[in-house]
Amino acid sequence: MSSDVRDVLNLSVEDRPRPAKRQKTAASRPNLKGLAREVQNLGGDNPIAIVPEISSFKKRRLGSRKPAARWKLAPFRNSARGDGLLLKHWKREADKSSGQDGPANEHEATAEKQSEEIEDSEFAKFNVSVNVPQYSDDQYNATLTNKDWTKDETDYLMETCKKFDLRWPLVWDRYDYALKMLVPSGQGSGEGESDADPNSAVVPTPKIRTMEDLKARYYEVAAKMMAVQRPVQYMNAAEFSLHETMVNFRPGDETKRKAYAQSLLGRSKEEIKEEESLLIEVRRILARTEKFNQERRELYNRLDYPQSETTQDLSSFKTSMGLQNLLQTLMNVDKSKKRKSLAGTEVNTPASAGPSAHPGSTPISDHRRESIAASTHRDSIGESSRPERPAKKGPQQPERRKLTEQEEQIYGVSNHDRLSSGPTFRFERINKILTTKSNAQHQRIINTLAELDVPARLNMPTKAVVDQMEKLLNQIVILLDLKKVGDKLDADIKVEQVKKADREKRNAPAEPEKKGGADEAAKAGAPATESAKADAADGAQQAGQNGDAGVKQEVAEDKMDTT
Amino acid sequence: MAAQQLTTASAPTDIYGGDEVSALVLDAGYCHTRAGFAGEDVPKSILPSFYGSLKDASQLQGARDIFGDECLLPHADFEVKNYMSRADSVVEDWDAASKMWEHMLIKRLQPEKETHPSKNGLNDPADENGDVNMEDVENQENQEKPLAESPLLMTEAPWNAGKAREKAIEIAMESWDVPAFWLTRTPVCAAFAAGKASALVVDVGGACTSITAVHDGLILKRSVQKSPVGGLWLSAQIRSMWNSSEPKLDPMPTFMVESKTPVDAGAPAQARVRKFDFDISPSFRAYEDERLLTEFKESVVEVWRGPGRYSNPGNEELVKTQPGRVFEMPDGSNQMWREQRYRVSEGMWDETAALPTNEADTITKAQTIPELIKSCLNSVDVDLRPQLLANIVVTGGASLVNGFNDRLNNELMAMYPGMRIKLHAAGLTTERRFGAWIGGSILASLGTFHQMWISKKEYEENGAGIVEKRCK
Repeated sequence: MSSDVRDVLNLSVEDRPRPAKRQKTAASRPNLKGLAREVQNLGGDNPIAIVPEISSFKKRRLGSRKPAARWKLAPFRNSARGDGLLLKHWKREADKSSGQDGPANEHEATAEKQSEEIEDSEFAKFNVSVNVPQYSDDQYNATLTNKDWTKDETDYLMETCKKFDLRWPLVWDRYDYALKMLVPSGQGSGEGESDADPNSAVVPTPKIRTMEDLKARYYEVAAKMMAVQRPVQYMNAAEFSLHETMVNFRPGDETKRKAYAQSLLGRSKEEIKEEESLLIEVRRILARTEKFNQERRELYNRLDYPQSETTQDLSSFKTSMGLQNLLQTLMNVDKSKKRKSLAGTEVNTPASAGPSAHPGSTPISDHRRESIAASTHRDSIGESSRPERPAKKGPQQPERRKLTEQEEQIYGVSNHDRLSSGPTFRFERINKILTTKSNAQHQRIINTLAELDVPARLNMPTKAVVDQMEKLLNQIVILLDLKKVGDKLDADIKVEQVKKADREKRNAPAEPEKKGGADEAAKAGAPATESAKADAADGAQQAGQNGDAGVKQEVAEDKMDTT
Repeated sequence: MAAQQLTTASAPTDIYGGDEVSALVLDAGYCHTRAGFAGEDVPKSILPSFYGSLKDASQLQGARDIFGDECLLPHADFEVKNYMSRADSVVEDWDAASKMWEHMLIKRLQPEKETHPSKNGLNDPADENGDVNMEDVENQENQEKPLAESPLLMTEAPWNAGKAREKAIEIAMESWDVPAFWLTRTPVCAAFAAGKASALVVDVGGACTSITAVHDGLILKRSVQKSPVGGLWLSAQIRSMWNSSEPKLDPMPTFMVESKTPVDAGAPAQARVRKFDFDISPSFRAYEDERLLTEFKESVVEVWRGPGRYSNPGNEELVKTQPGRVFEMPDGSNQMWREQRYRVSEGMWDETAALPTNEADTITKAQTIPELIKSCLNSVDVDLRPQLLANIVVTGGASLVNGFNDRLNNELMAMYPGMRIKLHAAGLTTERRFGAWIGGSILASLGTFHQMWISKKEYEENGAGIVEKRCK
């Protein structure tokens, strides 16, 4: 058949893309059965474009077909309603086991279910209403009286607020106290009576209330009732802020704001255009000043002007330390400048060429591009100046408030040049002094301490005590050294004296020069040792005093510390 | 037209909070009354609010009312009436209204209850027009009160009087025995149909145009603006144009034409007029004329899109150069309409451009649509105005006139130059025509609405006054 078609269309047998199609048909053929295969075969070599129907998909569905889901018209209640209205909606039946039973059985089951539980609507929880302040007559008379509002009208306001969930536009829209007075409470059906009413009874014409009046009154009442229920000082933060907001409601300001909004709404097209153009102008001016400031700042940067230090604290330069810092800063800046000027020149030139091309009289259209250029310029500067910032920050940091010595004492602040890592015992410091010395010297120091009545091991190594002890030990070491020198000199002098006596014995004529030198040396040594002795004694006394005073008080503490 | 079938009702509840209680929704307008099931997207039953009153010789008590489009055919002693009032779009004739509504809600929407063959009316000698004998329906209804299963949601015009509202609930509760009832305002429904709780609703209906601000699902009563500029007013404008045209056009409605032969444009008609052996009442003729005018409005009339008014110099010349539209009257005469089709609708926007009509249809400046919107906005709080202007819902069949939305947008832009103005007008014709019904359908099928219904028990406890208290 297909060859017939080919003949009709004058197509040669050769130009058909056979192999590809062969494969396809070979793949699809075994799936076909019955009539479909016959039809397919009609096509011969060139298969007809029939999309083989895949029946497996459909079959599977047919095979697993469940009985249709059961739905029932179930009554339900809404607990948000007070009247127990029963409405009915369609619900899917939960269990399908009853479906297998007979129809009578099923009816029974559903009847049972209906009777045993009538479900509550899941939407009942959305029934919420606002709380408006409640007050009794006494409370009203005590706190809420207002010459502008009667109690009746206040009641009406509260009622309206509750009715409309405090949606003020609606409250204002529906607020009609005059009508309320006309129609007595209860049924408002008798219109003829109420029409006659105002003529006979004296009705004070109620004021026309603006929304601000209503709000002001409501907030006044609400705030006062809040304060009555819980005095202001006991309110929590949320309550207090609410209270504050309500107390601070200014109807006058609101009215003014609304009048302004109204005028804003009633602007004509021209006015809006004018305003827009003015706004654009303002923005342009602001942008220009911003740019100008930026340029000035850059100029200052370039001139190494120490911007922040001078303005912030001049007194820091009054000391030599401050001047040193300043010098340091300037040197740092100078260094980075030199580095930057090398890097920055090629970045800066294209950007800086922009503004200088048309100085002063730049047209508006150019202005934007220029500002963009300026911004990129700024960025590039910022980038290169970033590394210098930490250097500048360094000297700025000690600008923290310096504590006086007294304050340091109070706060227990101490400064350390370098802290060793980890905790150490304070007396280690003293031990270190002792242990570094040779054994003989150690013994000598111990002896000196014993001589001074200071225990070698401190009972109470507080900071002050340890400091004093350290000082004392150092003095002792110096004392011992000087003693040693003195002893040595004494010994020398003795030796020399012995020698001199020998020589005098040997030859009668004497050499006075030599003796004088030794004397001088002895003289120089003696005062030194004397002063050292005095110092050491002094230090020991101090240490002893401090130590004794501290010991008794701080024994307990020390024990606690060590434990 | 059929509502979309929801295959699994278990899925959507948590999405849109719907929970159907098989409620009915009834939306009565001057031109059409719409009734259907809540949750559907289009009312099942749309009938003209016009009904036929047939003076039957066999019946002594006077006229018999027949309802439905298919019944409004030429009869002897036949009057076409409307149960709504032309000026206000509120119910005027309550007897006819309740019959009409019963016809729609019970006869058209409720499944036929099996009654004894001798009583169900099927075996009665058929009326020549096959219309329904309402007394029979009434008798049936007296026996079983067939709406006992379905809550009913009705819409009403925002200016509906308290008495009318009470009457509505009385009918629903007393004579139909509905388990629950609710009355809602059409603008609120239209806003809901557009998916908004707060909106400025521009409802250009058949008899009236109303502008209402809706805030949080409630109308702002002070903002309600009403004007006769609607579909019927537009028809009056067209009639005035036809009368004043040269030669005067007085087309006959379709039912009067028996046969016609095609003629060239502008040529006199060649048609044979159908002869009736009874008098056609003026009311029926007017109804049929209105149908013709509606067709003309739908296919020819256009609103000048602006900017500016149509009467501004140059606009008419521009329109004259543009292709017009041909309209063929039922009698076969046809004509090209160019600038006239813009002129008839211009009165909606510019009272000076309105064509002269009889006094009832003459409008003042305050009744044009831009002025209505302006005074509506002026009577709401200033803080709400920007929000309202950004949420303008356009609904109503007459707003489907070509170019209406463009013009409205242009007018608003000119009036409030600095504001963001956004119109929401449904694209589908049905959604625009039945906006209020659709909104009611949405409302009545919401799960959160269950707590709102006025139940029968509440009605019995509080009387009809409850509707004023609850349906705010």
